[in-house]
Amino acid sequence: MSVGDWCLAVRHTEFFTSVRESAILYPTVLALHLTCIAIFGGMILATDLRLLGLAFTKTPLATVIGSMRQWKQAGFVVMVACGVLLAGSKLDQYYVNPYFVAKLLLLCAVGAHGILFRAVYRSPKQADPSLRAKAAGSLSLLLWLGVLACGRWIAYWDAPDAIARLFDQFPPL
Amino acid sequence: MAGYDIATNPLNRHENLFALTEVVHIASLALSAGMIALVDFSLLGVGWRGESAAKLERSTRLWTIAGLTAMVTSGLALFSTDPARYFYSPTFRVKMALLLAAILWNYTAHRLAMRGQPTQLTAAAGAISLALWASTIFGGLFFAFTPGGY
Repeated sequence: MSVGDWCLAVRHTEFFTSVRESAILYPTVLALHLTCIAIFGGMILATDLRLLGLAFTKTPLATVIGSMRQWKQAGFVVMVACGVLLAGSKLDQYYVNPYFVAKLLLLCAVGAHGILFRAVYRSPKQADPSLRAKAAGSLSLLLWLGVLACGRWIAYWDAPDAIARLFDQFPPL
Repeated sequence: MAGYDIATNPLNRHENLFALTEVVHIASLALSAGMIALVDFSLLGVGWRGESAAKLERSTRLWTIAGLTAMVTSGLALFSTDPARYFYSPTFRVKMALLLAAILWNYTAHRLAMRGQPTQLTAAAGAISLALWASTIFGGLFFAFTPGGY
């Protein structure tokens, strides 16, 4: 079974068909995904701004990071759960979409960022943010903006046209 | 609007510009609603350790205004791509009413709630604020799925 066949099979499972075809559930999941981006994404933004020394400068870094950790983790779980429901219901269209692939790669990069800068988040210094902390904040900001942008551009990629253009460029032998 | 041809709008002429405006709209929503949510969580008693809601509100004030300004500006740009479709959509009108309520709540009851000691009423002010912002987002999304939407 090819990847394409597998993605098509996932799309046509009873579960994902019911998600896709529901007039209420699909937009609700999408809205929940966006609400999580707004509220918990805002918390990520707040942490990044503190790491960069641009906001909450009178509050210790440890307070900013520690107080929001659990909320950010919970928000991330809901955001990913919604993402899985949305992607699974149209997986055959998404897996060829370069913006979807880029979004997944950027999410992997977010994971790598967390490991790379673990020390910054686990034992933040009370003093002014170090260069390493500023690097962690700016990189996190860029990665999440990239995730957001790719997520939006997924909707604008027209598969048949793009594939047709590819065939024009590289006609099959 | 007499004499306004939506086909001349740069956002309708360049799909990438439209998508970019949407990204700005969502990112600034995260900035404004996210900062307000921090204060809401604090009013609900689950905020930052040792930080009062009033102190958090002072720290987030400028960022919230910056986010709201960018969100409204990008929202107006999106609205300009087809004003009639947006204006006559009941779902869009609900979204606008909720947004207005969320902003008014933020600068009235929300502020008042921060003046006194934490009570069930101040927690309710935070919960109502969160509910208003979430409802606004739901309104925006459901607009896209209603006839006459996207």
